[in-house]
Amino acid sequence: MTEREIFFEALDISTSEVREAYLRNTCGQNVTLRRKVDELLKEHFSNDSLLAAPAVEREPTIVLESPAEEGPAQMLGRYKLLEKIGEGGFGEVWMADQREPVKRRVALKIIKLGMDSRQMVARFEAERQALAMMEHPNIAKIFDAAVTEAGRPYFVMELVRGIKITAFCDQNQLPTPDRLRLFILVCNAIQHAHQKGIIHRDIKPSNILVTLHDGVPVPKVIDFGIAKATQQELTDKTVFTQFQQFIGTPAYISPEQAEMSGLDIDTRADIYSLGALLYELLVGQTPFDAKEMMKGGIDSLRQIIREKEPLRPSTKLNTLPGGARVTAGIDRQTDVSKLVHQLQGDLDWIVMKCLEKDRTRRYDTANGLAADIQRHLVNEPVIARPPSAAYKFQKAWQRNRLVFSAGAVVVLALIAGMGVSTWQAIRATEASASARKANAAEKEQRLAAQAEQQRADAQAKKASESQEQSRRLLYAAEMNLAQQSLKLNNLGRARRLLDQHKPQPGEEDLRGWEWRYLWQLTRSSALVTLTNRPTWGTSVSFSPDGAHLAVGWLDGRVDLWDVPGRRWVRALTDREYDKHHGRVAFSSIRNLLAATSEPKVLLLTRNSIMCHPPSFDHVAESAQTNSQTFGPGIPVAFAAQIAAKAGRHLIGLLKGQLGMVFFFF
Amino acid sequence: MSELTQLLHAIEAGDPKASDQLLPLVYEELRKLAVTRMANEKPGQTLQPTALVHEAWLKIAGDGQEQFANRAHFFKAASGAMRQILIDIARRKQRLKHGANLIGDELHESRIAMSAPSEELLAVNDALVLLKLEEPLAAEIVQMRYFVGMTIQEIAAALDLAPRTVDRHWAFARAWLKRTIRTSLSGMP
Repeated sequence: MTEREIFFEALDISTSEVREAYLRNTCGQNVTLRRKVDELLKEHFSNDSLLAAPAVEREPTIVLESPAEEGPAQMLGRYKLLEKIGEGGFGEVWMADQREPVKRRVALKIIKLGMDSRQMVARFEAERQALAMMEHPNIAKIFDAAVTEAGRPYFVMELVRGIKITAFCDQNQLPTPDRLRLFILVCNAIQHAHQKGIIHRDIKPSNILVTLHDGVPVPKVIDFGIAKATQQELTDKTVFTQFQQFIGTPAYISPEQAEMSGLDIDTRADIYSLGALLYELLVGQTPFDAKEMMKGGIDSLRQIIREKEPLRPSTKLNTLPGGARVTAGIDRQTDVSKLVHQLQGDLDWIVMKCLEKDRTRRYDTANGLAADIQRHLVNEPVIARPPSAAYKFQKAWQRNRLVFSAGAVVVLALIAGMGVSTWQAIRATEASASARKANAAEKEQRLAAQAEQQRADAQAKKASESQEQSRRLLYAAEMNLAQQSLKLNNLGRARRLLDQHKPQPGEEDLRGWEWRYLWQLTRSSALVTLTNRPTWGTSVSFSPDGAHLAVGWLDGRVDLWDVPGRRWVRALTDREYDKHHGRVAFSSIRNLLAATSEPKVLLLTRNSIMCHPPSFDHVAESAQTNSQTFGPGIPVAFAAQIAAKAGRHLIGLLKGQLGMVFFFF
Repeated sequence: MSELTQLLHAIEAGDPKASDQLLPLVYEELRKLAVTRMANEKPGQTLQPTALVHEAWLKIAGDGQEQFANRAHFFKAASGAMRQILIDIARRKQRLKHGANLIGDELHESRIAMSAPSEELLAVNDALVLLKLEEPLAAEIVQMRYFVGMTIQEIAAALDLAPRTVDRHWAFARAWLKRTIRTSLSGMP
């Protein structure tokens, strides 16, 4: 294929992962071709002015703007425009009167021309049913969508006479707890929408208006459903303009939205935006400076949102210039040092949990977020914790503690526990046997005397009760075993035992809180399970640049993984070696990888960083039987190693039924 | 004009020499048209290359005799000619900067509506020569889009291609040219 053909194909792929895979496949080992296509794509997506427009001017042959701008007293369908109440990148907002079927005052959001208005309305129609189901005091309703004669689409919604939430808080100098209580109301509204299957996608202060009802501030979330309707297919080349126009200020959008890779956007994108909003309510600034973000074009913008960790709210407050610091204090009826103190701990953690780049680590629901803030307000411990890799790893480790590290007391407790469960298992087996006997007896009786039908029925009922009883006993015994398995760090066995007690159709669900508790414990906080091999990993090592991970297995195999791509690259030892464990170690200085797969020691070097997929060349290979000289090792039977790369990656090998590699952020 | 029409017919009939003769002829035609137009315009008015090319085409196809078969040939030639005109202007501008003086050209830069700096035009032109060797269609599209200012739809109609095809070729060509220009600027091979 030519460079052009590959480029065309690549453009048709909307997600960067799939595109990467396609390029890898197509270019294969042809490094030059790959580099050239990469450069082309980079140029294509870069946002510079060179060749952006024709070198010559031309008179517009198509009238782009409607000649007649909308004006007061003009009728748009059933709506009479009264007064322009807002203007933004998207278009204008008008106050209008609706005459029929009901008389009411509404807000009309008229979108700028130049969008695919029909499609926009079609997308809105698609979600209309869901939008209609939203009924919440803190959500402004959307009534209608249509197109003006000039082709401009407009949305008709409940008129909210309020000011944006950040301005409201500052104008009224609301102290932090009051801001939090107002924010909880917003969370509740978002939760309601999420339950109806609606994602807002554009939560920002200007979309949350606060009005006073009898002196009580009531926030209203507006513009539900509009972001989705106005978002075009993002494979378009006009991404940048659309981006500015419709995603508005980038300070509130989640990394997955900024990516615009076609990745499904779910409710957790809203959680991110809520976090950014909370940040601003607490500190008076957004996590990232919007102007700063837009400066470097869309690529650097994406990079910031995807990679840069925002400062914690309390830290941000400390770094503000003097004037802004004082204002932040005054706006919250306190002084800055007290404010910093208020934010440190709980609130820092809560905000940062919302702003996690990885959405699986944010709050699952808006309710969860609201509940944590509520906990903070009543001084209960919050769920959010410092999101450090070490902390997460420690938690996972605690749950999967190895036997050898436990004290004698634990061992004793285990033995006792084993005894109990074995006894319970025996009892369960006995009960099953007696149930079978009862069944047999019942059959005999039926044969013997049909007249005793009634009695036999009673007997049968008893027998089935007895079976039920035995199931209960078995359940109790196996829950106990599951717990033991967990203590022995045998995650696979524990999961299997738990799975056995998921009820079959028609069976009674015996599972109680203990099942859920244990099930919870079997969930790992690992971000990714890289692989599941029926053997144990014995050694892991990151390349110095963090791009590659080598894993040595008990059966002698050594695997190489691509860390950012979470992708298996290749097995380095492709021969059948004796059943001796593989060990790996990257040199900390150069891209040199040493691997043992007894009795061999291999030394490999990565020949080029640019090269993708990376190829490793054998530098040396020697028969060396003494693997002890090769790096530190620990007894294989309890193989549990961690390797950490300065930064965000941690890897662990857990012993279990299966060899598992967990990957942490 | 009839000479031009005849040439178009000859190309259609498969005469290889006709193609070579077409470009200079269209070039002259466009210049003449520009000069005539400018004589009738008020001072300070500028000429839109797109309009010029369209007008030239209307003159040829105006009587309805010319069917669409010739259109692609004409627009290819016309965009090549327009590129030549613009490059002439850009070069002259460069020479002016270096102290040469310019007298009495009827079609000087102030009368053609150019929005890109002449340095850019010349750099694109140089890179375009290379692109033409590898991807002739993409290069044609660049001439129409960049040097004439035609829209994707107009180019698609002129070349009888799907707009999507034109759009993708334009995207490719643009990335290709940018890459080439950047490489030559950074002094790399």
